[in-house]
Amino acid sequence: MINHISELYGRQIPLRDLSEKLVANPNIVLREAITVQHGLTCVRCGTKLRRSTASLPNNQYYCYVCIQMGRVDTLTQLASVHEPNQFKGINDPLSWKGELTVLQQQCAEKVIEVFQNKRRHLLWAVTGAGKTEMLFKGINWAVENGLRVGIASPRVDVCIELFPRLQAAFEKVPVVLLHGKSEQPYQYSQITICTTHQLLRFYHAFDVLVIDEVDVFPYSGNPMLHYAVQNAVKPDGARLYLTATPDKSLFKAISRKKLSVSYLPIRYHGHFLPEITVNRTKNLDQLVDSGNLPRKILKRIAQLVADKQRFLIFVPHIKDLELVGRAITNARIDARFKTVYSADPQRIEKVALMRNEELDFLITTTILERGVTFPGIDVIVLKADDEIFSAAALVQIAGRVGRNSDRPTGRVLFYCQSKSGNIKSCDQQIKLMNRKAAKL
Amino acid sequence: MKECLMCKAPLRNEIRLSEIIRATPLINDPICQGCSNDFLDLADIPTCLGCGRKQTEGMSQPCRDCSRWQQSYPFNFSNCALYEYNQQMKDFMKQYKFNGDYYLRKVFSGQIHRQLKKCPDVIVPIPVGTDTMLTRGFNQVTGLLELVNYSNILKVKAKRKAVRQSEKNRRQRIELIQPFELIQSQKYLIENQSILLVDDVYTTGTTIRHAASLLYHAGATSVRGLTLAR
Ligand SMILES: [Zn+2]
Ligand SMILES: [Zn+2]
Ligand SMILES: [Zn+2]
Repeated sequence: MINHISELYGRQIPLRDLSEKLVANPNIVLREAITVQHGLTCVRCGTKLRRSTASLPNNQYYCYVCIQMGRVDTLTQLASVHEPNQFKGINDPLSWKGELTVLQQQCAEKVIEVFQNKRRHLLWAVTGAGKTEMLFKGINWAVENGLRVGIASPRVDVCIELFPRLQAAFEKVPVVLLHGKSEQPYQYSQITICTTHQLLRFYHAFDVLVIDEVDVFPYSGNPMLHYAVQNAVKPDGARLYLTATPDKSLFKAISRKKLSVSYLPIRYHGHFLPEITVNRTKNLDQLVDSGNLPRKILKRIAQLVADKQRFLIFVPHIKDLELVGRAITNARIDARFKTVYSADPQRIEKVALMRNEELDFLITTTILERGVTFPGIDVIVLKADDEIFSAAALVQIAGRVGRNSDRPTGRVLFYCQSKSGNIKSCDQQIKLMNRKAAKL
Repeated sequence: MKECLMCKAPLRNEIRLSEIIRATPLINDPICQGCSNDFLDLADIPTCLGCGRKQTEGMSQPCRDCSRWQQSYPFNFSNCALYEYNQQMKDFMKQYKFNGDYYLRKVFSGQIHRQLKKCPDVIVPIPVGTDTMLTRGFNQVTGLLELVNYSNILKVKAKRKAVRQSEKNRRQRIELIQPFELIQSQKYLIENQSILLVDDVYTTGTTIRHAASLLYHAGATSVRGLTLAR
């Protein structure tokens, strides 16, 4: 239930969710949640709806696409209040005292310029470049100037990781974290960190919107999330896209001059990206499918455990988790490990166990590929040639290694039956970055 | 490509071995194999003959709840359920009924049609109140019955005192005032007929028995129940 008018600033909330005394507030602007002129269109998520799917027996229509955010239908009105930028002026709100490398500093200045000129920009930085720190000065400028800042990512994990870092960097500024599983109630705050899904609840709210890991959902497959971004930012707001693995749609936007780009090919600690080692392994798929692993992989795992070298094992499918876990248990490798997948109800707890070094390794599906960092780990990818691993996903997986300056290197071991196109492309991308970095 | 209605994963329409062996007509499943496996089909396992729940070890036949019903309930009534009310079914109900994702009726409406198309009984859905109809926009039961010929005979009485189910003990629940009434103009459809009452979930069995009483009083010769879940 929405009780306070500030909860509607720059938002779009179904009218039925407003408390009775709020409904009469004259500042509230109402819009139909679904428009019926020129075909059915959901105003909240931008989807053109199929009549046959959307129709209800009471002669109304509902949106079946954004229904996870609570149903909107042709009887629903969305309530908004014009974003008033009602923030206390804070002088020099940045409490972070860290230092940027020369290259990071250049990017940070670029970010400020993008924000000041309300531009659309892509910051293309390798995994572990220290993207978040490069944002701080730009956000500092925005907050000082009373602007509303949003940071969105398609991944919950990324948001959860970002939140404490932003809170620590801007101690004096209220920061709110929004995602589907969070219990934290919504609060009008100058800095909002949220999943791109949560952006569906915003309307012309942000003067500055940062979209992290933008390539997770490619443009072509997810028009809804891109609509959400467009809707959540003010019409003249700045948009900053961050990625380590741009996709075709971003390249296209760049070549059409809809997007400017800056580039950072080296990690914050100045070391190159770890390159991948591809191990062709006969019958790997059949062995895994029958709950076994080749001796050489088991030996490698046992060795890593014995060396107290912590690591992640990536597998393509949820069903592989148990099979690989069983193969390792059956081989009597004495190790503490868990399996975790995206919809795992204990996912957050298991990741925390790994982070607290209470586990030697995690076996996981691609979900941990981004945002989640464990210092000093190695990475093993089983069935790396499975089509589920896109080149971008493989780059991200490899990017989990060598993040920390204490151990800027590490092993990235791909096990596969054949060296797929995606593996080759991943290999090329990493080597290209390293060549560019070498020229700096 | 078509997507699984529940998990949205792309659907590959694989022909299953069982379909080849049994030579059953090919059916385009609305959900993927994984989602389908998480529903527990009660058709092929032993169930309580009174309420349709899965028989577990040491359970009497009928189950204790049903024996108690036999003592307190004046009419002959038994229920059959298609699926167990397990986590997957709870998730489905949350999305379909509480979130109001009406299109999800398609997960089961085809199957229910195949099961009921030869049923000689008069099929009567449990109704929903006007408030629900207004906010949700549909009756979850008639949604499931979209491909079946059914008769709207019952409606929810206006202005019921709202007492939460959990706050009532069993006796109070049974003695509660009848929540339904007959649509008088439709009464002729049930006189001297066998009736199949349909609901989404059988929880305590109170709701469906209230409806059954009403139908018996109106002259039905027999009333059975069918629920999607138990
Ligand atoms: Zn929508
Ligand atoms: Zn599915
Ligand atoms: Zn029973």
